[in-house]
Amino acid sequence: MNKHALIIEEFACWGCRACEVACKQEYNPVEADNGIKYLSVWPDGPKRMNGKLDFMWRVSVCKHCDEPACVKACPEDAIMKREDGIVILNYEKCTGCQLCIDECPYHAIRFDEEKKTAAKCNLCHHRVEKGLYPACADNICLAHCIYFGDPAEIEQKILEKRKARGGWGEIIPKAISMSKG
Amino acid sequence: MPEFRYSNIEREMEVYGYDSFVKSHCRMCHGGCGVIVYVKNGKVSKIAGDPDCPIAHGTLCAKGLASAQLAYHKDRLTYPVKRIGPKASGKWEQISWDEALDTIAERILTYKEKHGPESVVFGYGTGRENEAVIYRIANVLGSPNVVTAGHFCYGPRICTSIITCGTNPIVDYENFPKCIIMWGNNVTISNPDEYKGEPFSVALDKGANLIVVDPRLTRPAARANVWLQLRPGTDAALALGMLNVIVNEKLYDKEFVEKYTHGWEPFVKRVNEYPLDRVEEITWVPKEKIREAAHLFATTKPAAIQWGVAIEQQTNCADNDRLLMFLMGITGNIDAPGGQVLNRQPNVVNVGQFGAHGMLPKDQFAKRLGGDRFRLASRFAILQPKCVWDAILEEKPYPVKMLFLISTNPLITSANAREVYRALEKVEFMAVADFFLTPTAELADIVLPAATWLEMDYVGDYWKRHGYILPRRKVIQVGECRSDHEMLNDLARRIGQGQYWWNNFEEALDYILHPMNITWNDFKKTNYIRGEVKYYKYKEGGFSTPTRKFELYSTTLEKMGYDPLPQHREPSESPVSTPDLYKEYPYILITGARQPGFFHTENRQIGRLRELDRDPIVEIHPDTAAKEKIKEGDWVIIESRRGSVRQRVRLSLGRDPRIVAAQHGWWFPEKKDPGHGWQESNINILTDNALESCDPAMGASNIRTLLCRIYPEAKGDSHE
Ligand code: SF4
Ligand code: SF4
Ligand code: SF4
Repeated sequence: MNKHALIIEEFACWGCRACEVACKQEYNPVEADNGIKYLSVWPDGPKRMNGKLDFMWRVSVCKHCDEPACVKACPEDAIMKREDGIVILNYEKCTGCQLCIDECPYHAIRFDEEKKTAAKCNLCHHRVEKGLYPACADNICLAHCIYFGDPAEIEQKILEKRKARGGWGEIIPKAISMSKG
Repeated sequence: MPEFRYSNIEREMEVYGYDSFVKSHCRMCHGGCGVIVYVKNGKVSKIAGDPDCPIAHGTLCAKGLASAQLAYHKDRLTYPVKRIGPKASGKWEQISWDEALDTIAERILTYKEKHGPESVVFGYGTGRENEAVIYRIANVLGSPNVVTAGHFCYGPRICTSIITCGTNPIVDYENFPKCIIMWGNNVTISNPDEYKGEPFSVALDKGANLIVVDPRLTRPAARANVWLQLRPGTDAALALGMLNVIVNEKLYDKEFVEKYTHGWEPFVKRVNEYPLDRVEEITWVPKEKIREAAHLFATTKPAAIQWGVAIEQQTNCADNDRLLMFLMGITGNIDAPGGQVLNRQPNVVNVGQFGAHGMLPKDQFAKRLGGDRFRLASRFAILQPKCVWDAILEEKPYPVKMLFLISTNPLITSANAREVYRALEKVEFMAVADFFLTPTAELADIVLPAATWLEMDYVGDYWKRHGYILPRRKVIQVGECRSDHEMLNDLARRIGQGQYWWNNFEEALDYILHPMNITWNDFKKTNYIRGEVKYYKYKEGGFSTPTRKFELYSTTLEKMGYDPLPQHREPSESPVSTPDLYKEYPYILITGARQPGFFHTENRQIGRLRELDRDPIVEIHPDTAAKEKIKEGDWVIIESRRGSVRQRVRLSLGRDPRIVAAQHGWWFPEKKDPGHGWQESNINILTDNALESCDPAMGASNIRTLLCRIYPEAKGDSHE
């Protein structure tokens, strides 16, 4: 079984927001201005941390959790965790009750006012199934910090990078520890 | 299970049923990234990065990804128009290209006849790699006047590097610098000339140390080993302080200094005028930190300085640039692998030759506006814009009658916007080429619809110093839009310059490439061509300067009558230079921090980019906010001696409470009146363009550091 994960090492993120626009491009025709956001980048700080000023960019997007709170929350069985690891929200089945939105610990689900459904990243499954990287993970990120693939391999890559940097960076991104737990 | 590969073109074509793809070269900013443009039913359907591109290695930014939204924008100008009402009435009528170009040609010839070619001023901004054609038409005409951002953006790096070491030293990310100073820019957001954030980011991932010089806490500053949070406008003093440490603690490269520099002794004397106590007092940076940064930079090899425009939009522009080069130079990092390389371009007709600077007669060169005053700029064909506005408004030293502005919106980008407005309102005839009817274009007589990078063939990055040229291939045609190059090629023939131009612009591309014995058609088949890669070239032939040395003491500046050694000059308005004014305007205003989706005044109408940054933001410290009774998200008034605008507050701990940081470039295309809100949040309404406040050699306007007040907007006190 091939387990897919989308992991963003926020330590390395520069806040360039290309991933946001890449996701928009994938899901909206050129003429459509906006449309719902599956992924959003936001400034965390500047704030005081241990007496030092710190400032990071955070990327909010579905983490395709191993034990997804959203799946449990949905009364319509509209969200399911697939064999390959992707958590899919089925828009046909979604009635827009918004229970999942409250339950997601990462605030990764939004309400699409136009379609009156919940909306979230489905990990570009239409691309992944055809052997294409998700739009945001297809090498557009200047920090090379958006990873797609097997979570254990990604963890390894991030650890190696951290070593090369001289030990900088979070030890393990949250999603990895989640998927282990 | 299918195998995953980045930018899998064949599979994209198959899965999405695209009709074709074109590899091209983005020009939404200075970055110049290689892209793959997928086309379906004759329209751009998707833009992706090209992994074969040596500049960005397939990564892209928000602007590049949104290019198709620019090309197909509903408000885009797609045919030539002439104004049929008074200026700024918003009354336009469609005309043919022939009528438009004939009208412009007739005006150029009439003004040339009556007032001399110098009365016709061309201009461009930072947009579309059009500098070579614009200089060519002006020089052949005999006009010495091309008004650009060159006085305070990139031009200074070119001018000062030519007189110091022959050419602009470019960071050699390919060989992974082990220490990087990011000085006054954030390459991860802004992609300044020659640079993309990607190689910088990779260098950090390889373990490079990072020093950031910035009054604001950016993410790079937060990640840095040392963050030097300086008082705005004191870069030169800080650099002199670092040089003081490097010189007195003998951390410099002795062989380089002995064999390859000119003016070491007077330079040391000057540096000794800046002991760390004095530098700390000027810059607000603790001297331990200055010493730490100087040590880290001087003792880690190779090391490089990622520089940018912020240090140039200051009173001390030329010396700031020179001082950073001195840091690169005396530490032995110039032309060293992983340091800062004096690249060789491929063997093409260079931009200067194409620009026909040699054809400008001597007596016309002598008439360059402001040429007596800003002598370094003038030598390199660069003007101080105020000299143009003055010539329009006061007709001194002679009248300027016509402006032809191409891809530039000076009403928003030039200092002291209200004066710019008066000049554009008064000028007898103005033609503009742009994508939209911008606030500047609304004051024109004729506006020509310009092509985006998706709509033109060109030798991409032709003018740059990173050593590469890359083909920009035309993908689509939108309406009647034409590239700046094509429209000027056509116009030139209508004003009798036919013998110096071409039947079509493809022939001009062949001309650029002919020294390599290839044509545009051959070049189009390549991904890129790179110039010869060679390090330490100065060890054989010296530097391309008058002394053949790396000039710490500039013989060129000395001849021009300037101080040959760099110094710190206080900004024209500062707590130190104008303490009385500081009592009335108690905050230091800095301007121009970049947003990822915008390129100066561009892209405010592009949905996917505007949604990233809806409003013009001014960042202030929470303490300042409390003092001024301002809350997060409030609209506030920022006011200087010259005027006031409104922006929206974001509270941020990441700057000194004495500093207020406002965004630049704002107008509101969604406002349909012809002003499009140009006065509402345009920070250049506040900036100073007095000639006395400019850099004495380059004429750089000091738009980055001034004094302001900030206070809540009274209810109903909206500016529009
Ligand atoms: S593309 Fe990469 S660096 Fe840019 S915002 Fe997204 S995760 Fe961050
Ligand atoms: S929506 Fe939230 S809870 Fe559900 S899988 Fe994604 S991150 Fe986990
Ligand atoms: S995986 Fe696809 S849907 Fe999810 S954030 Fe990335 S681009 Fe958007």
